Amino acid sequence: MDLDTLAHGLVAGSLYALVAVSFNILYRPSNVFNFAQGELVMVGAMTFASAMSVAGMPWIVAFAATLALVGMICLVEERIAVAPILKRAQTGTAWVITTLAVSLIISNLVGRIWGPDPILVKPPEPLSMDSLNVAGVRISSYEVALVICTVALVAMVERAYQTLQGKAVMAVAEDREAALMRGIDPGRLGRWSFFIGGAFAGMTGVVAAPILYASTSLGPDLLLKGFAAAAVGSIGNNRGALIAGYIIGLTEAFGAALLSPGYQEAVIFLVVLGVLLLRPEGLFGRPSARTV
Amino acid sequence: MSEAPLLSVRAVDAGYGHVDVLENVSLDVGDRKIVALVGRNGAGKSTLLRTISGLIRPRRGQIAFAGANLAGARPDAIVGAGLLHVAEGRRLFRRQTVDDNLELGRYGLRLTQAEHARRIERIHALFPILREKRGLHAGSLSGGQQQMLAIAQAMMRAPKLLMLDEPSLGLAPVLVDQVLDAIASLRAEGVAILLVEQMVERALEIADDAYVLQNGRIIASGPAREIAAGDALRAAYMGEHGAAARA
Repeated sequence: MDLDTLAHGLVAGSLYALVAVSFNILYRPSNVFNFAQGELVMVGAMTFASAMSVAGMPWIVAFAATLALVGMICLVEERIAVAPILKRAQTGTAWVITTLAVSLIISNLVGRIWGPDPILVKPPEPLSMDSLNVAGVRISSYEVALVICTVALVAMVERAYQTLQGKAVMAVAEDREAALMRGIDPGRLGRWSFFIGGAFAGMTGVVAAPILYASTSLGPDLLLKGFAAAAVGSIGNNRGALIAGYIIGLTEAFGAALLSPGYQEAVIFLVVLGVLLLRPEGLFGRPSARTV
Repeated sequence: MSEAPLLSVRAVDAGYGHVDVLENVSLDVGDRKIVALVGRNGAGKSTLLRTISGLIRPRRGQIAFAGANLAGARPDAIVGAGLLHVAEGRRLFRRQTVDDNLELGRYGLRLTQAEHARRIERIHALFPILREKRGLHAGSLSGGQQQMLAIAQAMMRAPKLLMLDEPSLGLAPVLVDQVLDAIASLRAEGVAILLVEQMVERALEIADDAYVLQNGRIIASGPAREIAAGDALRAAYMGEHGAAARA
């Protein structure tokens, strides 16, 4: 077995897991799946690249500015493309179309601003993309940091759901009307979740940039594989998303190495299809038909 | 009965979509009173509670609570004013623990650690089973335990008025006693209660006042003892024909 392939799989899987978690953050209180999430990751990467290379901001300032901007974009999306639909009917599904529309609008606008050329982004000091030889595996210090940070971030997000506000989000996810009767305002929690989920997507773009390059074509690929990770890991389950992200990353890496890079997408979606056929609720979900 | 009642519902019409359910409903709940709302299934009892708690907007009429107008207010503002609704079926957060459910009961309320602990303490004294089961998911409790948790969750907020919708539904007789005792002890602590209860006789025993709802209208109201002895109650449970025969 080729250990380099394993390393590639873990790195790509980390990014898919992060996208999947950003989906879940939005999904929990709203039951809305934001199809613009991939483009938000892309905007995060492009904004960060420009802030660093054009504006010359320090890493941490560019990082904070990117998170704030992408979070705001996602909040605006909620206000104009999601809230009006849920206001009419809480179970409405027209957000499938409206969030897809937002995705296309962002993709178009960003294409006009930045053009198609990818921008090289350097990792923050002292990390670098130079390959190290760790026990026979070629991997850069930045990639090692990315995998560790991903696990730590998912643990942090799960901690946040242990706070009272986090528990309230889970309460809204379980029974929105019951939450209303306890004085919880689902609209307010929904807006916060869109802001934070957007910022999380922006952050994913920042950490992906040194590996994938910042490019306007990042969005669709991350949307699809992040979505796959969220579905395989059970929608709304962040630990599931983390593990499923790695399953998909590793499948992709080994599929490319063992068969041919041309088949890697097909292999991923065969695995996704197989999992969802056997367990429609994902690997880590409770069966939805459980009764008392 | 000269001072303004704690809750005053005046000439309220309400319903769902194009369906009218309540017509010209008026009802008062006095401070520290237990008021029973009785009537057959489908009479509009739950709809009235849902209208008072802001889940449905009234089409017409006024709802005043503790001096403030609440008609059309948002549910979280109504809860914030001290008016709590424990819905039929209890509607607990089944995937969260007993303790988490209690904590959610005080959502949005600024409490000191000491005050939070004091309220939990009081609840555990009233319902010791909730201490025993504190780490379990609410969904794993029995029906009676869930009802106690639902009442306890509302008590976390120290409400002025508690609306209980069918608290004894599906409970064993011994548990019905326990729940009704808890309701009486809440009143002793100064909480007013608006009670919808299918065990009409039991409800009228502990209530001060009662209202009889039929087809979305109040057809009788007065002291609970008089309602229990009166004709309106029988008419309401026998249906249209009984009422028509009396009229």
